[in-house]
Amino acid sequence: MGGLTHSVRRKVWWRLFLLQGCWNYEGMQNVGFAYGILPALRHYYRERPEDLIKSLKRNLEYFNTHPAMGGVILGATARIEERVASGEADPRAIGTFKVALMGSLGAIGDSYFWGALKPMASVAGAILSLIHPALGIAALLLLYNLSHVLVRLKGFAAGMDGEESAVRFLKEAGFTGRTEDRKILAAILGGAYAGVLSSKTAFMSGEGPSAVGFFIVALLAVHIVTVLFRKAVSPSEIMLFLLVIGTIFIWR
Amino acid sequence: MVWQLLLVAAIGAVAYIDRTAAFQLMLHRPLVVATAMGAVFGNAFAGAQVGAVLELLYLVRLPVGASTPPDDTGAAMFGGAAAAVASSSIGLDAGSFSAVLLLSVPCAETGKAVDRLVRRVNGRIAALTIESVERGDSQAVEHGLLAGVALFAISGTVLALSFSGLGLAAGKLLLPCFGPASKARFAVMLPLFPLIGAASVFSCTRTDRTAPAFYLTMWTVFAATLFFRWAG
Repeated sequence: MGGLTHSVRRKVWWRLFLLQGCWNYEGMQNVGFAYGILPALRHYYRERPEDLIKSLKRNLEYFNTHPAMGGVILGATARIEERVASGEADPRAIGTFKVALMGSLGAIGDSYFWGALKPMASVAGAILSLIHPALGIAALLLLYNLSHVLVRLKGFAAGMDGEESAVRFLKEAGFTGRTEDRKILAAILGGAYAGVLSSKTAFMSGEGPSAVGFFIVALLAVHIVTVLFRKAVSPSEIMLFLLVIGTIFIWR
Repeated sequence: MVWQLLLVAAIGAVAYIDRTAAFQLMLHRPLVVATAMGAVFGNAFAGAQVGAVLELLYLVRLPVGASTPPDDTGAAMFGGAAAAVASSSIGLDAGSFSAVLLLSVPCAETGKAVDRLVRRVNGRIAALTIESVERGDSQAVEHGLLAGVALFAISGTVLALSFSGLGLAAGKLLLPCFGPASKARFAVMLPLFPLIGAASVFSCTRTDRTAPAFYLTMWTVFAATLFFRWAG
């Protein structure tokens, strides 16, 4: 498993959780990436302090990907650094490898974690919190973190086995299919959440045609807000508009 | 009071570190934070009520690349504290609920501005780190990262104390000033917020297959409710 001891590997993995610790607009996750790989570099270049600095400078270059997917790149980069340290690889291979992977992994991670898993976990949490807050919080944290921590663990392990293993992991993990499944699940749960709450209000406003009328208004409201979001109107702008309307009503 | 302040500071530091700097275990989500703030100020259920709505509201804004989404953690700090002190033994009335949600928006935008400022200061820390490494100091990377995390934690603590303080002021001083008529006007808006949240979920998960899934489920739930009311 490379030339790294178990304790160094564990240190690198834990440090992966701090990838965004010094997030900035210029280098983005550069300091976090260098911090993560530092125990491995100290191990490879323990007799060569000058080479350690050269290697650190390489790893302080611009870096940005999805934080949960960073483990794949961090693990694989540590393996390439090992080959660079033993003179088997060109140091430029590291920059090329990172640039090649960070964009695509960032896009996969953003789509899977932010665009599918988080909405699914959030809406499940919001629905279950109607029964009991603790149930909602437990559902949110469990649904998100089971997948999140597993991807971090397996991704890092695959990366540490080399670039080919990293690519195999990404292929076998089937992120495209999983993203689609979770998006559908989030949409169903979102529809159920909107349906339950709008039905409750609809039947409070009356029975029969009046309730159906209210429900159709609720459907239209969801559609209009969706169109506004598509036109890049932010939720804050909609809420501020409602705040102004509410304030005007109070003064009247 | 001192314990409450310490708890708010600790929750703020943990939530804001989790939000960007480290772990991303979703401890910063509005449902978690608003419930915790509600618990600190005496009514976890009222906090959770507000947190559940805020949880979905800002989902459509994804933290992709250099974009900074509105600070829903800050909105939850405000909302949880305000809801806990404004609620009575029967819970939070609909008018106060709407007002708390609407008043939390400036907190979300202020938190976003502070987040951007912290990231700009981090740029200076990163530049100093690179300079130190070039001079041969490998430990500068660890110091730089620690400084970045500390900055997120300190700003988070300050924001948490400020937003919860504003929440307490709103719940104790502002909301009781509204009469029943004003509260009734605000209450009219309450059904809109979960719908905005649902639209937010739908928008960020939108594909060709999710649109029918979303609308059909919404219709089915309504039709089932209608049927059971008619039958029962």
